Amino acid sequence: MICGFCGREIPDRVPQPEDRCGACPGGCRKVHCPHCGYANPSVPAFLQKLTRSKAERDKEDS
Amino acid sequence: MQTPPADSNHPKIVLVGNPNVGKSVLFNALTGAYTTVSNYPGTSVEVSRGHCEIDGVRYEVLDTPGMYALLPITEEERVARQILLAETGHIIVHVIDARNLERMLPMTLQLIEARLPVLLVVNILDEAERIGMQIDTELLQEKLGIPVIGAATARKRGLKEIRAAIAAFDSTRRPTFAYASDLERDILRIAATLDSDYPLDRRAVALLLMQKDEELLELVRTAEGEGFAAVEAAVREVAFERRVDLHLRISLERKRVCKGVLDGVISQDSGGARTPFSERLSGWTMNPWSGFPLLLLVLYFGLYQFVGNFGAGTVVDLLEGHIFEQWLNPWSISLSDRFIPWYWLRELITGEYGIFTLGIRYAVAIILPIVGTFFLAFSVIEDTGYFPRLAMLVDRIFKQIGLNGRAVIPIVLGFGCDTMATMVTRTLETVRERMIATVLLALAIPCSAQLGVILGLLSGAPGALLVWTLCVGLIFLVIGFLAARVMPGELPMFYMEIPPLRLPQPRNVLVKTLTRMQWYLLEIFPLFIFASVLLWAGKLSGALDGLITLLRPAMLALGLPPDTAAVFVLGFFRRDFGAAGLYDMQANGVLSVVQLTVAAVTLTLFVPCIAQFLMMKKERGWPTATGIFVFVTAVAFGFGWLLNQALLTTGVLS
Repeated sequence: MICGFCGREIPDRVPQPEDRCGACPGGCRKVHCPHCGYANPSVPAFLQKLTRSKAERDKEDS
Repeated sequence: MQTPPADSNHPKIVLVGNPNVGKSVLFNALTGAYTTVSNYPGTSVEVSRGHCEIDGVRYEVLDTPGMYALLPITEEERVARQILLAETGHIIVHVIDARNLERMLPMTLQLIEARLPVLLVVNILDEAERIGMQIDTELLQEKLGIPVIGAATARKRGLKEIRAAIAAFDSTRRPTFAYASDLERDILRIAATLDSDYPLDRRAVALLLMQKDEELLELVRTAEGEGFAAVEAAVREVAFERRVDLHLRISLERKRVCKGVLDGVISQDSGGARTPFSERLSGWTMNPWSGFPLLLLVLYFGLYQFVGNFGAGTVVDLLEGHIFEQWLNPWSISLSDRFIPWYWLRELITGEYGIFTLGIRYAVAIILPIVGTFFLAFSVIEDTGYFPRLAMLVDRIFKQIGLNGRAVIPIVLGFGCDTMATMVTRTLETVRERMIATVLLALAIPCSAQLGVILGLLSGAPGALLVWTLCVGLIFLVIGFLAARVMPGELPMFYMEIPPLRLPQPRNVLVKTLTRMQWYLLEIFPLFIFASVLLWAGKLSGALDGLITLLRPAMLALGLPPDTAAVFVLGFFRRDFGAAGLYDMQANGVLSVVQLTVAAVTLTLFVPCIAQFLMMKKERGWPTATGIFVFVTAVAFGFGWLLNQALLTTGVLS
């Protein structure tokens, strides 16, 4: 995913314990950019398909 | 260090560069169909390998994960550097985007100073030319002292030249770039303590050690053995003597060198002599003379009109005023009256503080449309790349309050959720900055829902909104200014690479908005129901009346009705719940404009919600968190009292 602040590509991974503030009931939903620290929303699986381009989806399907 | 996969005997071509610069397209063009993709040993990062034959020589080609610098931050960058260190590339092909030459060239410099055999491919040249950029690759080659090829690999342009450059590559050419003399002395001092052989040049190793590269430090520790103490001492002494962020200093030096290298290399077409509009707009957003009016426009249309008037006005009117008040509430009350014989249960579900009539109504009909429109506006602004420009714009002002442009990250995030923003203050460099940012977040930065509700509340009375904005802005600046004086200290420099300004992508905006709304609703729904149960229990047991009686003097001092006490109590539980309570009181005509203004200002400044308080405790410890709690409460009520007196005396808003 692309960081909403610094524009760099960052790994779209499940937030690690050290990244979590623990304030959100039900677990962390932020991906903290390792470059600038900005907290990006962690896109749930059902919405992730929308974020991928058609080419990426085709590649994944094949 | 990980062991690389089994080596083939062919010389290697390693493709490196930022993500999305066309490395994989070049890889495919060089290697054709027969490639393998596998995880790099010990990691989940994929690396593609293939082969190609150029002028009768067979090469192994590696496509590395995207990296921004030799100093790795992410696992992908670690793997890319590991390949550079361990796989002994015959040629390192650095692929960069012609449109972002200035941003990407510092990494070329790093590769050159590491004494790696670099071939530079200036890719996506067609797009650069389309926007009127002309890049003199020959001059760039002359200045850099390495082969430079202009290409548009997606259109197969430059592939022949790249193959020819690989075939004719002269790995003995190793140019050097000099930094400022003091930095050069430091580099030499550290490099002189290194005795072992490294895959990178000692100069590059010294620079990475100065930038606190932990992984490389371990490599040096193992390689130097007993001599490591001298290396460590030299690095420590340099850091102590310079007393600046060496990472930042080196980045700025590289940027300076790159600027010199690019002088005369990039020019605009005579046909398109004007700089592209996006670049001009980008400049305007960071220039104080045009940046602040543009910021006001963003706030006016993004927040006031869209969130305040449309979200908190039109949409809430429809959901709360019509659907809930006229349909759902009367229907649910009549159902419970008919079927539930017990007063306490009727109260719990559809009473004054009932789960349905209060908890669900607040969450669905008041808060959700407000945060929904806020998140939509936020995601649009975020997707344009405006936030880093805002950081540059406010850097000078923030320096007056002991912060710098970097603090825009927690402050902007605070408008979403102050609790998470308090955690993000740890990305600030000094403890002093973290303290100041924590206090300001607790005091003067309303979270998304609170901001939205307050905008909705006050948008009907523009005078009240103006007073609220001035008061909160004034408190932010004055308290920040005083905090910077009470806690003196050095102010780190701020520097960041600005990503291109772009049109927001509807798909990105939609996904980000829906994600934020989904998580937000999941989070607040149970809490709002819990809060209404708490209020219901308080009402039935008389505890709520007791609390209101206890806070009555404070409310009267602020000129507010005693019932407003419940808003403040709930505001501490959840800021947005308190703000929604205020919205309800206003809708019922309980508050005058002056009272509304005083309550809105005091509630905004009032103690952060319980989650934020716990986060302050986690980040700053009990004594500091308690100190901030007491301070913020005193400022909120003290300022609320002053404001009430001032408004009553002057007759403003009466």
